[in-house]
Amino acid sequence: MGSNAIRQQFADTMLAVGQEDPNLVVLIGDISHFLLQPFAKACPDRFYNIGICEPTIVSMAAGLAKTGFFPVVHTIAPFIIDRAFEQLKLDFCYQGLGGTLITVGSAFDYSNLGCTHHCYDDFALLKALPNTQVIFPASAVEFDVLFRQTYRNGLLTLFRLPAHLHGQTFSREAISIGKGLRLTEGTTLTLITTGPQLRSALAAQEPLRAMGWDPEILYLHTVRPLDTELIRESVSKTGCVLVIEEHSWSGGLGDDVLRATHDLGGIQYASLSIPDAFVRDYGTYEEHCEALGLSRDGILRTVASRFALKKEVMR
Amino acid sequence: MNKALRRTIVQMVYHGRDGHIPSAFSIVDILNVLYRDSLKYDPRRPDWPERDYFVLSKGHGCMALYAVLEQHGFLTPDQMKTFCRAGGILGEHPDCTKVPGVEASTGSLGHGFPFAVGIALGLRIRRMPNRVYVLVGDGECHEGTVWEAANVAVNRRLGNLCVMVDWNGSAAQLMPQDDLPAKWRAFGWETLVIDGHSEPEIKAAMEQFTGRSSDTPFVIIAKTVKGKGVPMVEGHGVWHHRIPTEEEYRLMMEALA
Repeated sequence: MGSNAIRQQFADTMLAVGQEDPNLVVLIGDISHFLLQPFAKACPDRFYNIGICEPTIVSMAAGLAKTGFFPVVHTIAPFIIDRAFEQLKLDFCYQGLGGTLITVGSAFDYSNLGCTHHCYDDFALLKALPNTQVIFPASAVEFDVLFRQTYRNGLLTLFRLPAHLHGQTFSREAISIGKGLRLTEGTTLTLITTGPQLRSALAAQEPLRAMGWDPEILYLHTVRPLDTELIRESVSKTGCVLVIEEHSWSGGLGDDVLRATHDLGGIQYASLSIPDAFVRDYGTYEEHCEALGLSRDGILRTVASRFALKKEVMR
Repeated sequence: MNKALRRTIVQMVYHGRDGHIPSAFSIVDILNVLYRDSLKYDPRRPDWPERDYFVLSKGHGCMALYAVLEQHGFLTPDQMKTFCRAGGILGEHPDCTKVPGVEASTGSLGHGFPFAVGIALGLRIRRMPNRVYVLVGDGECHEGTVWEAANVAVNRRLGNLCVMVDWNGSAAQLMPQDDLPAKWRAFGWETLVIDGHSEPEIKAAMEQFTGRSSDTPFVIIAKTVKGKGVPMVEGHGVWHHRIPTEEEYRLMMEALA
């Protein structure tokens, strides 16, 4: 997985914010070293390639926060989230210290590297800790705006950077932490996505219309805090919701949407996510998505098999 | 060997009905000298920016820290009476979100030391002269993060950092290959071995740390006795986490009179 626009934006944002704010410090676990050289050269006292010792990097970052810095920790997702979970819990969250985790290797992006480099439990784990935020941006501008909005707010914020982007362009003004975006309005079905799966939802629109549905698409770059108001407003109207996410079936956005809407009554709900089994196959990202149903066709199959169209579409 | 602080520890554990007496006795002389002779602090302003930092990575020895914090004005006698009581601020592990003067919430071993490495790095980035002290247990040195942090601290040349190892033999109960001075030297640390119950030796070691101009981190390996001060609790037996009976309490206080 090479560099992409969002990873380049990460480097550009560190440089820009680092030059404005003397309290930004970046610690990396021996990845993106060359990408971050502009920041390293501009802020040599505040860039550290610590090495292959992720729990220590996380504890050190909390120690830096203790002395008033805004630390950023960057490496491959499972090495922070899974390996250093106790450090996140105790050293950051319990002590009320703020910092930013910027991970690559979203879900199964490192598709050929197997379970060691996959991470699709990160939403669940981070959301289980008080004082956290979870953001899954899939365009460069989302990362830049949301990082600037969050990096010094005293919380521990995860930015899960995907290798594949959704391809949409949002204005800076439209992007706000905890606020979802309604891309299309509809009356009979709410599709809720985060990260690059917005692409699948958009691709499913026309076929769904041909099937008689009138879909509304919500895009949530912020998984926590959840935009409950937007979700409830939409699902109250459509009565039918499908959540599409590159995360485990347990503890992800799907569970949160169910919790946010369960009391509305008569709601049809389904989730497209990673089932209760490890992803063991090799191949491309796209092949993994197809196998898991995280695709246009997966959405169409799920809607056809799980939902009954109850309302006449008003056009 | 300080008897008054040990009496305070026994009283806390007896009345609080919980705690680790031997682990606290093992380190209390080190903390006594640290707070009396070396550490810079202001109990009226625990977050004074010019203070030195002390992190008790071996969190279960915190009764010793509480006793010393009370002696130096961070805690009141009334607060000491709330040890392990609902609504109190003093638990069996130190909590920086509750206790003035506690810099880190510890208890799970292997966290406080790398956290202190981050503090030391932060102070160096700011070009501040504050020093950072951290106390780890020898059993804690089983944790991989201790050696990750030792490696990072040397390579980042954190000469403002002093680790104190409470070498009371706990580690050797499980892993007899226990040459801690050789291990720390192998990691590149300036290493000193002392008697951790001898006030003159502790004081001299701290003066050696504060008096030098070096970017090599410094480790004081303090040979200690778990439970030192009351023969009945010395060693690695049942007293690790035992509460004294009324009769045992009386005998302990007599031994520490």
